[in-house]
Amino acid sequence: MNTDFADSGINLFILMAGLLPLAAGLLFLFIPDRFRLFKGIFSLLIATISLCGAGLLFRNTNLPLNSNLLDCLGQDHPETGNMPGNAKSFFSLYIDNLAVLVMLFISIFTFLILIYTLAYAHKRKRLPQFFSLVLLTSGSSMLAVLSDNMILFIAFWGFLGLTLYKIISPDDEASSAAAKKTLILIGASDGIMIMGMAIIWHISGRIDMSLMELPTDSTLSITAFVCLAIGAFTKAGAFPFHSWIPDYTEAAPAPASAYLPASLDKLLGIYFLARICNEIFVLNDWLRLIILILGVTTIIIAVMMALIQHNYKKLLGYHAVSQVGYMVTGIGLGSVLGIAGGLFHMVNHALYKSGLFLVAGSIKTQTDQDKLEKLGGLSRQMPLTFFAALVFALSISGVPPLNGFASKWMIYQGIVDFGHGESLASQLWIVWLALAVIGSALTLASFIKFISGVFLGRQKQELKKAREVSWLMWMPQIILAIICIGFGVFASGWVIPKLFSPVVGEVKFIGFWNSSLISLLILISLILGILTYLIFSVSRFRADDIFLGGETGKEEAGFSSTEFYETIRNFELLKPVYRAAEKKWFDIYDLSKGFVLKISHLFSAAHNGILSNLAFWVLAGLIFMFIFLLL
Amino acid sequence: MGKELFYYFVYPGFLFIAITGGILSWYDRKITAWLQFRKGPPFLQPFYDFLKLLLVKETILPAKGSKMTFLLAPVLSVTGAMLAGILIMVPATGIDTGFTGDIIVIFYLLTIPSLTYIIGALASGNPLAAVGASREMKLIISYELTFLLAVAAVIMKAGLSISMLDIIALQQDGAFIGSISGILLFVVIILTMQAKLGMVPFDMAEAETEITHGSFIEYSGSAYALIKLTKYIMLFILPVFLCILLLGGFRLDGIHILWSVLKVLGIVLLLTIIRNTNPRVKIAQAMRFFFIWMNLIAIIAIVLILFGF
Repeated sequence: MNTDFADSGINLFILMAGLLPLAAGLLFLFIPDRFRLFKGIFSLLIATISLCGAGLLFRNTNLPLNSNLLDCLGQDHPETGNMPGNAKSFFSLYIDNLAVLVMLFISIFTFLILIYTLAYAHKRKRLPQFFSLVLLTSGSSMLAVLSDNMILFIAFWGFLGLTLYKIISPDDEASSAAAKKTLILIGASDGIMIMGMAIIWHISGRIDMSLMELPTDSTLSITAFVCLAIGAFTKAGAFPFHSWIPDYTEAAPAPASAYLPASLDKLLGIYFLARICNEIFVLNDWLRLIILILGVTTIIIAVMMALIQHNYKKLLGYHAVSQVGYMVTGIGLGSVLGIAGGLFHMVNHALYKSGLFLVAGSIKTQTDQDKLEKLGGLSRQMPLTFFAALVFALSISGVPPLNGFASKWMIYQGIVDFGHGESLASQLWIVWLALAVIGSALTLASFIKFISGVFLGRQKQELKKAREVSWLMWMPQIILAIICIGFGVFASGWVIPKLFSPVVGEVKFIGFWNSSLISLLILISLILGILTYLIFSVSRFRADDIFLGGETGKEEAGFSSTEFYETIRNFELLKPVYRAAEKKWFDIYDLSKGFVLKISHLFSAAHNGILSNLAFWVLAGLIFMFIFLLL
Repeated sequence: MGKELFYYFVYPGFLFIAITGGILSWYDRKITAWLQFRKGPPFLQPFYDFLKLLLVKETILPAKGSKMTFLLAPVLSVTGAMLAGILIMVPATGIDTGFTGDIIVIFYLLTIPSLTYIIGALASGNPLAAVGASREMKLIISYELTFLLAVAAVIMKAGLSISMLDIIALQQDGAFIGSISGILLFVVIILTMQAKLGMVPFDMAEAETEITHGSFIEYSGSAYALIKLTKYIMLFILPVFLCILLLGGFRLDGIHILWSVLKVLGIVLLLTIIRNTNPRVKIAQAMRFFFIWMNLIAIIAIVLILFGF
C-alpha cells in the first residue's frame, strides 16, 4: 500500500529526530570528558541528522496523526510479538502540525547551541557531560512532544527535569542551591501533573491525550486542569511558579540557560499549555479569566524585577519569565488569533532569548564579569556580538519591524477581538491590553539598561583587552539574529501563513501591518540616511572627547546604567513591594520551604533527646495504634 | 511600487510632512516669541537651521563612544517618525494605497524616535547624556500606559475597531470630542503629546539649563540636523493623530481645508501655550503625574464610555 511507504518515512524521520539523539546521548555518558572535542563533533553530527529528520517531518504534508513509538523501532507485528496485553498502546504517538513545528525548533536550537558550546566548552573547563546532556534533552523533549499516551509523555517530561538539574553542573554554593531549587520545583510540578493525569483517567477512562475535549464543569475536571496547568506553568516559568528561572540563569553556564529555560522549556511548557487549553479540556470562562490574570501578572511582576537587577544573567532570567506572560495571555484568549500569537511569540521568544543568553555567555567568557556596572563600551571590541544583542534587545522589546513586534501585535489584536465577548474576562479586555503594552515598555527600559550597561557608554580601562569571540561563538548569535529579523520582515506574508496557519487554522487579522513593505521602506530610509552623511558631511567629521561643560571627562564621572531606574525603585507605591520581593515573600519555593521547615521544627521540638520524653512518645504511639487497630 | 514610493517620499509623505513640520516649528517659535514680548524668527528660520546644520557645520563624534551607533541613531529616528507619519497621513488625507497600519502599529512606531534618542545618547558615553537618556526612558514608561489607555478608550468608542479609517468614518456624524469622555481624553492625549515631544514641562531629558541639552549634548552637524528633522516631523504628525482620534480627521474639499488647517494649528497653539506657561517638573514628579493623575482621568473616561457618555 502507498500509506505504508509514507508511514515508514515518517517512522524513519522520528527515529532520526528523536530516538537517535536519545540513544547517542546515553552512549556518550559512558565516554569520559577527556574526549570532549570528539564528543562535541559527533554530537553536532547527530544534531544535524536530527535537524534533517525534524525538517523532513515538517515538510511532510500528510501526517498520519496516530502512530506508535514501537513501529518506529521496527516492531511491525505486535500481536504476535511478546508484548503483554495492550502494552503497545502505552507507546502511542500523536503527530500533528503543532508537534512537528515544536520539534523543528527544538532541533534548530540543539544544533545552534552545540555549535556555540564547541568553542565555549573549550574555553571553560567545567560543563561535565554537557554534550550528552544536550542530546538527551533534545531527544526526550521531541519524544515528549510526540507522545500521545500520558504515561509515555510524563516519562520523557520527567526525564527533562533531571537533565535540567544535571546540566547546571554545580560547583559552588549558589549554583547548587539554584540546582536544588530547580529540581524541587520541577519535580513537585511533575508529581502534581501525575495526579492530574490520574484524575483524567478516573473521569474519562482514557490515557491518551488527543481529542479528549473534557468539559471543565465539575470540580474533578477543574482540579485535573489545574494540576496539568501547574506542570505547564512551572516548565515555562509563569507566575507563581517562575522563581526557579532567575536563580537558574544566574548560576548556570550561559549555553545551558540559552538551551533550557530560554528555549526548550518555553517550547515544551507552552506546547503543553496549548494542548491542555485547546485539546484536552474545554475551558470555561472563569478558568480563562484566571489564566489571563496569571498571564498579565507574570508580565508585569517579572519585568519590574528585571528593571532593578545588576547581574545581567539574572536580568535575562527575569525576562525569560516575563515573556511567558504574553504566551500565556495569547493562549488563554482561546481564539485563533490569540493562540497563533501565543505560539508565534513562543517561537520568537525562544529565538531572541536563547540568542541573548549566548550573548551573555560571550560577554562572560571575554570579560569574566557578572555585574552590569563592571562592564561598558564593549560595542567597539565586540561589534558582531553587539549587533546581535541589539537585534535581540529591540526584538524582545517589540520594536517594529522585528519578530517580537509581530507576535505581540497579534496578541494585542487577539485581546481587542476578545473584547467582543460577553464574559467578564472579555469585558476586561482593556486591562489585559494595558498591562501587556506597559510590560512591553518596561521590557524596553530594562533592555536599554542591559545594552547600555554592557555595550555602550565609555570604554572601561580594565576591559581594553576584551576581543570578539571566535567564529564558532558569534555564528550562532548572528544566525539567530538573522532569523529574528527575517521572521519580523516576512511575518504577515510568509511566517504566519506558512508556519502557524497549519497549526491553528486560517488566521484572520483585524489589524493591518504590511511587514515586508514597511521593512523595505526602512531599508531604503537607512540607505538614504547613510548617503546623506556620506554626501553632505563626511568631510566635516571630527572625533573629539565628550563635552562636560568644560570639565575633563574622568573615568569615575560616569553615570552607571544600573542607577537608571532608582527613581522607580524609590517610587513610594513600589518601594514596599520591591522590599518584600527582595526578601522573597512572593517566591513559592521559599514560602513552601518555610512552611515545611516550621512543621518539621514542631516535630523536632518534641524529640528533645530526653529519655523519659522519648519513652512517652513511644507509649503514646503504641496506644494510638492500638486504638486505631481496634476500631 | 513606484506609486508607494511617491506617497512615502513626496505627498503625503516625507517632503510634505517635513515642510509642514518646519512651518509648524516656526509657528511654535513665533507664538512663544509673542508670549515673551519678542519679535520671533523669520518664516524660513527652521529650514535655515536644518540646512546650516546639514551643509555647513562640522559633525563632532565622541572619540571614546560607539561612533556607528551614535550616527545611525538619528537616521533610525527619522525613519521611525516617517513610518508613523505615513501611516497616520494616508488615512488622514484619504488616499487609498498599500500603506495600511492600524492604531497599535502607529502607537509602537511613535515610540521609535524617543528610543533612538536614548540609544544615541548612551552611545556617546557622556554622563550628562546618560542622565538625559535615563530620564527619557522613565518618561516613556510613565506616559506609555496613559497614552495606551487613551488610545484603547478611542478603540472602545469606535466599537473595538483598530482601523484608522473606521475611526474616522465613525466620527462623520459627530466627533468623539463632543462628549464628556472625549474631552477628558483630549486633555490626557494633549499632555501625553507634550511629553512625547519633549516640551516643557516634560523636557527634563534635555533640560538646557541643567544638563545642557541632555540626550543631545554630543550631537552636532548633520546628525543633529536629522534629530531636528525628526522633531519637525513629530510636531506635525502627533497633532494629526490626535485629530484623527478625537476630532474627526480631515476633509480636504472646499471650506473643510480651512477647518483642517485650523484644527492642527489649534492643537499646536495649545501645546505652545502649555509649554510657555509652565516650569519644568522633576522626573519623579512627572512619573507621579502620569502614573496617578493622568491614568486616573483616562480610567474615568473609560468608565464613562462604558456608561455611554
